[in-house]
Amino acid sequence: MQLVIDTATAACSVALIKGDHIIACEKEIVGRGHAEKLLPMIAALPDQGRADKIIVDCGPGSFTGIRVGIAAALALGLGWDVPVSGYGALDVVAAAAFRRHFNASNLTVAFIGGHGEIFIQSFSCDRPSLHLTALTPIQSLRPEDAAPLVKDSLIAGSAAATLVKARGWGESEEAWPFADEARFLAKTATTLPATPIYGRLPDAKIPA
Amino acid sequence: MVAEKPPMALVLGLESSCDETAVALVDNDGNIIAHHLATQEILHRPYGGVVPEIAARAHVERLEPLIRKVLDESGKNLSDVDAIAATAGPGLIGGVMVGLVTGKALSLACNKPLIAINHLEGHALTPRLADQSLSFPYLLLLISGGHCQILLVKNVGEYRRLATTIDDAGGEAFDKTAKILGLGFPGGPAVEQEALKGDPTAVPLPRPLVRSKEPHFSFAGLKTAVLRAHQSGLYKREDIAASFQQAVIDCLVNRSEKALRKIESENTAINAFVIAGGMAANQAIRPALTALAEAHNLPFVTPAPWLCTDNGAMIAWAGIERFRLGMIDTLDSPARARWPLDPHAEKARGAGVKA
Repeated sequence: MQLVIDTATAACSVALIKGDHIIACEKEIVGRGHAEKLLPMIAALPDQGRADKIIVDCGPGSFTGIRVGIAAALALGLGWDVPVSGYGALDVVAAAAFRRHFNASNLTVAFIGGHGEIFIQSFSCDRPSLHLTALTPIQSLRPEDAAPLVKDSLIAGSAAATLVKARGWGESEEAWPFADEARFLAKTATTLPATPIYGRLPDAKIPA
Repeated sequence: MVAEKPPMALVLGLESSCDETAVALVDNDGNIIAHHLATQEILHRPYGGVVPEIAARAHVERLEPLIRKVLDESGKNLSDVDAIAATAGPGLIGGVMVGLVTGKALSLACNKPLIAINHLEGHALTPRLADQSLSFPYLLLLISGGHCQILLVKNVGEYRRLATTIDDAGGEAFDKTAKILGLGFPGGPAVEQEALKGDPTAVPLPRPLVRSKEPHFSFAGLKTAVLRAHQSGLYKREDIAASFQQAVIDCLVNRSEKALRKIESENTAINAFVIAGGMAANQAIRPALTALAEAHNLPFVTPAPWLCTDNGAMIAWAGIERFRLGMIDTLDSPARARWPLDPHAEKARGAGVKA
């Protein structure tokens, strides 16, 4: 049994999963309240979320949300003496979107980032295995700069509509990563180190 | 009648509200079983001050390994701990959230009570960790990089604020002075070292609000005067540092004396004059305030310098104090950027949100 924690975006969700099965799941769009909502949500799961393993969304996405999720995962791992690892926010949205769009073989995930930028990454999906491959690295760009680079018709994520509008064509699907969708990820995609993937460098500049 | 000794309690304290990640295990006799601190000084130094975003990034990487280190060193397990205390504010919210959420998760995982600590209460109660005979009420001068207040400490969770700063905190003035003089970051120790070589009477600097009717502090004008003195080219760097430090000391003494007089005029009996917070680690400040306490026939109490600057033991100790009184918190406790110890204090004239 795995406890999944996903606070990488405006969504806050937790799930207990076993293989492909969802044992329990709690989800809510909280905006900024992850630090207050997350632990009560875990406490509301069966056996207070107790699991043999914890996986956590490492981002990129909400700067604050990512760190809240990782801090909680690491401390639960310490308290229960179980291993903790991570997965990518864009991967889980891509994996879930390919399951909703049976004909899509490629798509781009676009998330709201910081300072008016969006995070983008393109994925392909092999069928029927549903094996996910990232075709590009994660980039943080202004929507107008991202638009000419994105060739996939289907865009999923919190900034999907923004990107489709900036580009002038394609299909957008608003989507957030949710903890129960981590069951769609290959095992190798859930064994990242549990450290934040910020997707951009700190804003602070060293004074001249 | 023999007072019953309270049952043994062991509290884990987590601190992450500014630029130190710190963890400690403390028991109710005030024994610091183990403590560790990961300072971020080296990360912030190139910027000349604490950068909130960089602090937030660092806390999440450092806190959990630090907890493991403290537990390993103490030979204790989380099951031996009676409660988890974590700073819930005030401070840089990105760091506060990391510590508080870590505390909540440990509390849930180990089925131990969570105690959400006001960082300022950590400073305010640490003198009782250092001196177990110190009893309430006492007058506290709380001086740090973010705060400059005089508080009547009546009990755990009961404070009356007598004075605050209407602009910069004292430690902030040290940091800014260090920057002006090119002494680097953090400014407190740098200015203190430089001041050792200088003449505290060499540079005429103002003592803002000294002898004014209102009880508060102000340091912004002093900082500007330091800048002018530096730009004039008339003074040596060490003399500016020494004269600046002396001006701050004069302000602290004058404002503390005013607060002591007010308390005396109200016939409130207090047990000590206490200083705490990062600036209380300054060795030049201590003698002047010791003399003030003596003049008012009060014991002078201040924790060891390492317990004045941010640390995990102060949070664990505040946790012990609250745990003994059954004051525990829930998993939805908020992280707070602002959290005054005395929410009923009158707003100081001209003071911004930090007061």
